[in-house]
Amino acid sequence: AGVLAAHKITASSPDTDLPTVSGLRKMGVNFTVSNKDTVKSSDVLFLAVKPPIIPFILEEVGPDIEARHIVVSCAAGVTISSIEKKLSTFCPTPKVIRCMTNTPVIVREGATVYATGTHADVEDGKLVEQLMASVGFCTEVEEDLIDAVTGLSGSGPAYAFTALDALADGGVKMGLPRRLAVRLGAQALLGAAKMLLESEQHPGQLKDNVCSPGGATIHALHFLESGGFRSLLINAVEASCIRTRELQHLADQEKISPAAIKKTLLDKVKLETPSLSVASASKVSLFTNKSPSS
Amino acid sequence: VARRGRGVPARRPAGMEAAELRVGFVGAGRMAGGLARGLLRAGKVPASSILASAPSDKNLDAWRESGCRTTHCNLEVLQESTLVFLATKPHVLPGVLQEIRPAVGSHHIVVSLVAGVTLQTLQRLLPAGTKVLRLMPNLPCVVQAGAMVFARGSGAGDGEAALLKSLLSSCGLCEEVPESYINIHTGLSGSGVAYVYLFAEALAEGAVKMGMPGSLASRIAAQTLLGAAKMMLESGEHPAKLRGDVCTPGGTTIHALHQLEKGALRATVMNAVEAATIRARDMAED
Repeated sequence: AGVLAAHKITASSPDTDLPTVSGLRKMGVNFTVSNKDTVKSSDVLFLAVKPPIIPFILEEVGPDIEARHIVVSCAAGVTISSIEKKLSTFCPTPKVIRCMTNTPVIVREGATVYATGTHADVEDGKLVEQLMASVGFCTEVEEDLIDAVTGLSGSGPAYAFTALDALADGGVKMGLPRRLAVRLGAQALLGAAKMLLESEQHPGQLKDNVCSPGGATIHALHFLESGGFRSLLINAVEASCIRTRELQHLADQEKISPAAIKKTLLDKVKLETPSLSVASASKVSLFTNKSPSS
Repeated sequence: VARRGRGVPARRPAGMEAAELRVGFVGAGRMAGGLARGLLRAGKVPASSILASAPSDKNLDAWRESGCRTTHCNLEVLQESTLVFLATKPHVLPGVLQEIRPAVGSHHIVVSLVAGVTLQTLQRLLPAGTKVLRLMPNLPCVVQAGAMVFARGSGAGDGEAALLKSLLSSCGLCEEVPESYINIHTGLSGSGVAYVYLFAEALAEGAVKMGMPGSLASRIAAQTLLGAAKMMLESGEHPAKLRGDVCTPGGTTIHALHQLEKGALRATVMNAVEAATIRARDMAED
């Protein structure tokens, strides 16, 4: 999105063989195996490890956290208060921001929400918002809504991929080549989503606009309704949200097996941090119109 | 009756026409009674201008009590009235049409309420050029909250359509439609009234289960439906939007709606409308 120069980003991981590592290196991101180095050379710290690992990472980097740092956790189910509690043994007023994003940030169409912690200022929140807004939609919420957001837009892309796979199957069944079916299905959902975002109208009204009396679409919709399509989607969002809360409970009780930790640390731990001088944060101009540098 | 002459002029104010109008009902059953009661309550037509015929007195007593005139002779209805509603049972109609045919003139406006009998059939059994229209009302016409659609035959013009619409608007919503919509209207609104009663009963039962007395629950259920429908009609907003307006995040309503979606209520209702419409079409061909 062009908001940051690559050399201002530092990422760390104990495992240097990950494909993501080489990808980051190609982009010009500074890479290190030392989490401590990352913390020292950064102002805004994104914690992108798996939720059970968070407490251990915080233990490790805690001593190096200074007043200037903004710690942003993207870990599902990990509360601001649990992070603040862990860090307060090292730093009296740690700035913590919790966010929930989703995978389409990769194509700059992410959906991100964030909640600010006790010691994070309005400007800190706005800075994170500016960063995440460069890769999609970003807004502030109360922390207690984040689980619901996880259920909806965190998991949402998976629901969409499932739907698209099935729509493509439908197309193939009716005679379309697979590639074309996938392309058309994806474009249909993209277009519909865009119409909804740009319209004042209720999705119910937009649906009606597509359904000519006695036509093809209303026949198809009847099938969807018969299958309880709507309730399935409601169930999905609910299940994801509830599971997130369960995981949060487990994390709060710190019930993680040492074997799981070890395995995770060796495999897919990655710590990613962009570097920005907090002093000039208010003057940072973010170029959201530039194409990605990679 | 003879003063009507050929072709009702289109420009005469509907109100004045209605006041001079003599209205007849061939058949005096529930639907006819509902329409007549609606017209009377709205003050569109004086009771003395209404004449109804039926084979026996069983149905006619209620009409007389309202001040309408009654007879056992169908021909008399044609002779005395300009606007004639045909409200017999479907299997009886062909015989009745044969009976009244000699008395049908160019001044008459014949409106059939008979389910399943097409304009084509009506026009075939009546003199050529007769002004025929086909009406599908629903029961709440009796409380002036009906939903009615009508279609015109080849002999009926703008004047007749306007007259009928103006007259029947006193009984509720009245719209002209292509004849093909009439069966759909049956499925949606003719039978639809029964779906609403079923829903109201279920709502009340849910309340009873949760501890509310039945009669109170029933009245509240009915008022809830009435109020929601009124908001929909007056606001013109899409029902999906109105639904969303009631749903506070994480609140009672959205929890309840989830139950309804789980039960595929929407599809079931669509199935009902479809079944009734198809049945209406099948019956019409019998």
